[in-house]
Amino acid sequence: MSRPSTRSLSDRAFGVWGVLVLIFLFLPIAVVIASSFNVGRLLVSWDHFGFDSFLALFLKPAVRDAVLVSVWTGLIAALVATLLGALAGLAMARHPGRWQLWLLGLLLLVSVTPEIVDAVSLLPWMVTLGQDAGIAVFNDGIVRLVIGHSLFSVAVVAYLVRARLVGLDAKLEEASADLYATPVTTFRRVTLPLAMPAVLAGFLLSFTLSLDNTVIAAFVSVSGSTPWPVYVLSALRSGLRPEIAAVSTIMLVLTLAALALVAYVLKRAGDSAADIARTMSGG
Amino acid sequence: MRKHSGILLALPAWLWLVCFFVVPVAIVVVFSFGEKPDIFSTHSLEHLSFDRYAEVFTPAFFTTFLNTLWIGLAGTAICLVIGMPVAYWMAVKVRPERRGLLVALVMVPFWTNFLVRTIGWQILLAPEGWLSTLAQGIGLPAFEILNTRQAVLLGVVYNYLPLMILPLFVAFDRVSGPLREASADLGAPKWTTFFRITLPLAQPGIIAGVLLVYIPLMGDYITATVLGGAKGNMVGQLVAGQFQTALNWSLGSAMAVVLIGIILVSVAIGAGIVWLVTLPARNRNRLVLGPAEPAAARSVTVPAVVEGAGA
Repeated sequence: MSRPSTRSLSDRAFGVWGVLVLIFLFLPIAVVIASSFNVGRLLVSWDHFGFDSFLALFLKPAVRDAVLVSVWTGLIAALVATLLGALAGLAMARHPGRWQLWLLGLLLLVSVTPEIVDAVSLLPWMVTLGQDAGIAVFNDGIVRLVIGHSLFSVAVVAYLVRARLVGLDAKLEEASADLYATPVTTFRRVTLPLAMPAVLAGFLLSFTLSLDNTVIAAFVSVSGSTPWPVYVLSALRSGLRPEIAAVSTIMLVLTLAALALVAYVLKRAGDSAADIARTMSGG
Repeated sequence: MRKHSGILLALPAWLWLVCFFVVPVAIVVVFSFGEKPDIFSTHSLEHLSFDRYAEVFTPAFFTTFLNTLWIGLAGTAICLVIGMPVAYWMAVKVRPERRGLLVALVMVPFWTNFLVRTIGWQILLAPEGWLSTLAQGIGLPAFEILNTRQAVLLGVVYNYLPLMILPLFVAFDRVSGPLREASADLGAPKWTTFFRITLPLAQPGIIAGVLLVYIPLMGDYITATVLGGAKGNMVGQLVAGQFQTALNWSLGSAMAVVLIGIILVSVAIGAGIVWLVTLPARNRNRLVLGPAEPAAARSVTVPAVVEGAGA
């Protein structure tokens, strides 16, 4: 390691570049947060400072409903994705077989398919299931959103849980079985606690992924259950008002709280900064 | 352990994905061979043909595909050029106790709503926006970048940059400090160490970063919608338009299939180029067993080093 007192020119250049890029990354976010204190008719032109636009969350039913739909969808989609993904991850880590390649291939396919393709595929399929086949549940806005939002998240959770369990010794479970624990007890007392950090991280990541999802949501959502990003997307056409920025700021705080929790959980489980970076960028 | 318990555990996820991913995507592929029979229906499968694909390749639509490919390639390249020094700085130059904070700082934009941060750029770039006002204040002309291809390029570079920095950081972080110090101790200049030690070992991370940026970027729909206006059209908008406004599902499906095809083919070509370019390096760095020739003794035994670093 070089001595900190005599930094070379190139080290400094790296530092300056890094800080500049970080400023670049935060610039539009800072603008959105600043704009949420704008009291005026339009988002782009600054009028004067105030907290009025935050009140939209309580005063405008459309805004409030959109946020509630997003949060509900996020919670349910995260639950579904965590359950399905964790079981798949557990199966891949602890009971590997030739079928595993098929599942891994499918998960890979799900994670590399552009969102727009998922979106345009789900739209006709939901119409087929809900209207042509008459299965009423697929006409429900929340159900459609949960299905759309969970696809990518299932893959993420499965990767996370698999990676965590592969990294831990299966002998712990074997020892538990040798000590006459039933498979259920072994799962509850040994496997589940071992996998828990990955399961929790997967749940919270799925939640934020769902809150963030715009493209699939724009295609599958039905009027009456519009999630927040789709509300923003339609506001884009009719003119952006400061309340968009204000509610987005609130959503940002919510997302960051969830992510801080993920980092905390992973850190307590003994992950380094690099491990956390890998987990958070989707494995 | 029972033989089938693995399959049973994975079955729910498998069924879920087959039901809501494989089947709908397969249906879209079938749709792409159909047609739009009249203005009231979205598709018909009575006469199957490749006509929709022929339609996609007419100049009216294919220009957008080329435009998207250009934005995809340029955007990924710019992300790599901007992101690589940042990731290297975070993994190597910064004191270890600060790395966690920097990783968190890169993640905050990544996890801010995609649409909202793009709107942030719209506010910044608008003719009556902040940057423009600032520029006019110091005597420059008003901004006219919004609704151009440059604005879309700026938007995608911004939106996907964290996806480049994070895997690169992980990759550089894995190349251990002692290895670089050993190279320096053996008299290698900084650039030689970077190109002969750090870069080859970080190669998987670089490939991961490029794919993580390039694939979603090619299918991007939001950035071009918010920043591109009419001139910044990307395929994502084209596909969405056929499904939502033109209600021509067959043509939209054909476009989606062609988009996936272009992504796959370009990734394959890219992989081929990388393979060819690194071929001489791989031969030079080959681990030579048995009596050492003078030339081989000089070479860096990267494969052995990879195993040593991974253990």
